[in-house]
Amino acid sequence: MAHTSYINPFKAVKNLFIKPKTLCYPFTLKEPALRYRGFHTNDWDTCTGCGNCADICPNQAIEMKEIAELISHPEQGLKNERPLLDYGRCCFCGLCVDICPPGSLSLTRDYFHIHFDTGTFTFFPKNEASDSEHFKKADEYSVLKASLTHRKQDFQGFAPDLEYALFQPGRAEMRQVPAEKRVLSFIEQVLGYSREEAVEEASRCLGCRLCEEACPAHLKISDYITAIADGLPEESLRVIYQDNPLPAICGRICMKHCEDACSLRIRGDALAIRWLKRFAADTVKQYQKALEQEPGAATGKKVAVIGAGPGGLSLGYFLRLQGHEVHVYDRLDGGGGTLRTGPPAYRLPVDVIDRDVEYIASLGVNFTFNTEIGKDKKFGNLMKQYDAVFIAPGATQSFSTRVPNAEKCSLALDFLKDNKIGNARAIGKEVIVIGGGNVAMDVARESVRLQHMQHPGQNTVTKIVCLESGEELPASKEEIEEAEEEGIEFHTGWGPHRVMLDGQDCVSGLECRKVKSVFDKKGRFAPEFYEYQKTTVPADMIIEAIGQRPDFSFMGEYEKKLTFTERRKVHVDDNGMTSIPGLFAGGDIVNINLDAVTAIADAKRAAAGIDAFLKK
Amino acid sequence: MTHPMVKNLKSMFKPIAVKQQDERRIMLNVPKDSLMSVLIFLKNSGYAHLGLISCVDRIADNKFELVYIVSAYVEEDVDDSMKATFVVSTFVSRKDPRFITCIPVFINAEPYERELHELYGIVFEGHPRLTPLLLEREYPIPPMRKDFDSRAYVEEVFDTVPFVDQEDDS
Amino acid sequence: MRELELYYGPQHLGMVGNFSITLKVQGDRIVKADANPGYLHRGFEKLMELRTWMQNFPLVCRINVVEPDHIELVYAMGVERLAGIEVPERAKFIRSIYCELARVASHLFGLWAYANMLGFDTAAQWAMYHRDLLLDLFEELTGARVYHIYIRPGGVRRDFPRGFEQKIVSTLHAIGGKVPDYNSLFFENRLFKKRAKGVGTLTREEAMNMGGVGHTLKATGMKYDIRKIEPYAAYDRVDWDVPVYTGGDAWSRLLAIRDEMIESVHMIFKLLDTMPAKGSVCTKTPNPFKWNIPAGEAYVRCESSRGELGLYIVSDGGDKPYRVHFRTPSYSHGLTILEHALQGENIADVGNIMISLYVVAPEIDR
Repeated sequence: MAHTSYINPFKAVKNLFIKPKTLCYPFTLKEPALRYRGFHTNDWDTCTGCGNCADICPNQAIEMKEIAELISHPEQGLKNERPLLDYGRCCFCGLCVDICPPGSLSLTRDYFHIHFDTGTFTFFPKNEASDSEHFKKADEYSVLKASLTHRKQDFQGFAPDLEYALFQPGRAEMRQVPAEKRVLSFIEQVLGYSREEAVEEASRCLGCRLCEEACPAHLKISDYITAIADGLPEESLRVIYQDNPLPAICGRICMKHCEDACSLRIRGDALAIRWLKRFAADTVKQYQKALEQEPGAATGKKVAVIGAGPGGLSLGYFLRLQGHEVHVYDRLDGGGGTLRTGPPAYRLPVDVIDRDVEYIASLGVNFTFNTEIGKDKKFGNLMKQYDAVFIAPGATQSFSTRVPNAEKCSLALDFLKDNKIGNARAIGKEVIVIGGGNVAMDVARESVRLQHMQHPGQNTVTKIVCLESGEELPASKEEIEEAEEEGIEFHTGWGPHRVMLDGQDCVSGLECRKVKSVFDKKGRFAPEFYEYQKTTVPADMIIEAIGQRPDFSFMGEYEKKLTFTERRKVHVDDNGMTSIPGLFAGGDIVNINLDAVTAIADAKRAAAGIDAFLKK
Repeated sequence: MTHPMVKNLKSMFKPIAVKQQDERRIMLNVPKDSLMSVLIFLKNSGYAHLGLISCVDRIADNKFELVYIVSAYVEEDVDDSMKATFVVSTFVSRKDPRFITCIPVFINAEPYERELHELYGIVFEGHPRLTPLLLEREYPIPPMRKDFDSRAYVEEVFDTVPFVDQEDDS
Repeated sequence: MRELELYYGPQHLGMVGNFSITLKVQGDRIVKADANPGYLHRGFEKLMELRTWMQNFPLVCRINVVEPDHIELVYAMGVERLAGIEVPERAKFIRSIYCELARVASHLFGLWAYANMLGFDTAAQWAMYHRDLLLDLFEELTGARVYHIYIRPGGVRRDFPRGFEQKIVSTLHAIGGKVPDYNSLFFENRLFKKRAKGVGTLTREEAMNMGGVGHTLKATGMKYDIRKIEPYAAYDRVDWDVPVYTGGDAWSRLLAIRDEMIESVHMIFKLLDTMPAKGSVCTKTPNPFKWNIPAGEAYVRCESSRGELGLYIVSDGGDKPYRVHFRTPSYSHGLTILEHALQGENIADVGNIMISLYVVAPEIDR
């Protein structure tokens, strides 16, 4: 093929006139591509300190360090730690960007850093917003001075993308009874996860443990979720019972502080921790066999507990494991306290409560039901007969608006109790529920069901009338949403003024005034009204659900020895003891969260306090 | 569809454990005395390409699993059965790992066995040079074994590069 | 004549990569050659046993410095086979296009190495420049020029950016348009023919016995290509051919490389035409912190630019691989075939033979 040619060599002359391809760096720069994987930036406002980037780095180049200037807000899932990068180890693979749940970590197109001091290769990445002195505008930036402290603005490279993220943002949907079917009865609304759905949902957990800090009782959530993902619900139940003896109850009605802190909620759905706890409690048939718990060695000390609500039940459980003898008194005919009478059967059936209570009883906790302290037994006798007493009576008295003719209205707590464990109330065809909290939602949704059951096929309506409007409503968003699905009418921003009666002295409506504002400038509850803007909402039955308060009259002369905080809660020290020696307290009378899991946390604290007190 | 070689192998070599993963992969497990015969049989049936000799440290069973991967040098337009790959494995003792070399069957086995000797400590009888191939220093035990903790070794022998939180300001 | 022992050591003008050969010479003739790998042994197989399945894929590409893409592909294929994951259609096409671009870039690198060794800097710099154009394409697609970390178990990491197909086409036209110049400058050059013809000759039987694969075998006339025998990704969706030569010497091997490069360029155009326009590029894999793969073993292989690249991977049911062993083509080329081919050759031809065999040192040492 290669014959001698005198022409061929001259073909090379054309290359004399071709522009050289070499870049005259640094006078002509090469622009990095839009997806270049260079140095990190981290948006400190979006970063939650969850630490998933540090967990996934193959070279252990990221370490989470506590930042003194930041404040942790565990209930919002915000930790005061931020990632520290070591560029001696980083290989710029971008796995940290793909796993970051908030999407705060990102890579840029900077890649120069030349320095004599190797300490400068370890740094906290920030971004333009929080570190503006190190990010230069185009006219101030010079590639000759480029380093980790001299970077270019607006130079984003490999960015987080939810479609390619390494975590699963979507939740396994929980099957629920649809609205048009569930209003016809008190059937339980949430159907629960199947085994496959539970494993699928539990496998989403990234293990960052932000939820454990938000939970008032600090359950080891990541551990029991891992047990469910591994297909071991018994192991999961064992972990739960270390801190919470009411999993079936909490798995249905907990206020899920954990899910509000889950790092997956920022760009996806929070992990369904409450439903997974319910799965563990419902799947294990025999608690005793799975948990293998024995009460502790008998100490000979006796403790009385007043109130078999979540606070009292948990205290009995924790103390029994220490070996003390526990007697729980309650005036209802079973355990659960306010949980037994309050949450409607479509959210928390009574047999579920009995299941958790029976396990606690099987450990040797003595229950005396149908006994009201103050009437059937004197409180002073309990204080003398027992080595320590714990009160968790809860808030049992409903508030009333006390407007004219208010005595014709029903009160929320009695209404709910009769429907759940007594005889169902006769319901009107047009019912008004006054109030905007979760209890008002419970009352209204029970009213809707009773209307469908007692007046089938007829035109019935339940209305909510409350002072608050929009975001001010204290009820949880999912309760309001489900209430609206069930056809409840919301009349927000109206203040009750007078109950109207008809010729036969029966309720015919509620006269209301328009609300100007609910809270004053300091955020205190001080509603103001437009006196001349009135309306009458028609009704044949009105139920007041505006709040409840505790009743301490059962304590007799001990009541005046109690001290209260400025928020009118019973004051307790770090061991849960009140100002009366030997008297401990917990639950709604002590905390401001007013939910079951905080009562359980109070009980755990008081159990440690009582144990120490009894050993003295 | 069962590969045609499976029947022959099962009838000629007993005992043998055959698992066909799919049309192109057949996993065999034979006792170590019959391994050479199996390899020769496969080579004579046309599977003359030794791809890899590997070793898996089955420390829980106290054995080394030697794996020989053979396939055929074929062009595209040939019977599908010739495009299969055989993964032949056998167990040798972990305490005193010895085996015979298969260089007489496949010439290119020489560096694979040399590497396994260096990294696992398996002695191949009849191998012309079992000298170090890849490593530059002596290790207390052959380093690819499961009981060799590489992280602990690095910390012991070299000054560790401290993790980020242990950096002192310099 | 006296027998001398020379070190054709890791620092040598004719050596590419950290690799050395101990030569026993008599005068100018080599009597015996001993390959000394091990300068780049980084212990990948042990390192990979300590990292989870998802944490391993950024590590894998570093095994072969020159062409990291096929190793990423073979690791992803191994994990997918063990875990039973299917890759979406569009991802298969993207993987094929990506691997073919990598093949062209790697062959250009090899061409640079060979021409550099011969002292033919013009052709070498042209090849490096054209490889640089391809590295720009990779930077646009994946975010890095050399260690792309793009293929992960389940698919690929990101989809094509907008306008990327046009960029591929124009870059390949720029490279392909230079092929006549390459031919007249280098491949049809009388000096190259004199240097490469008859050097390092292997017969087909010798190459097959000693585990030769890839272009080493194609230069002896055997059409052994894993993309045809065991099609993976999208190689069975387009028509293409395997170029072969029959000389078995360095000249045939270089021509086989050139023809393979041209065939790859044509294949990329065909793949771009047949690729589905829309679709997902990655199957969702389980949570990387909780991903346990059931116990089992798998052997997967692909055709890298040097030949048959295989991976033997074993899982014990945990979240980390139990054993990972890469079967790299340069292993038999660099250790068995090289020592055989160097016998009786001149010292001046050591680099010639080694680079025409395409021995890449990091692949041998892992």
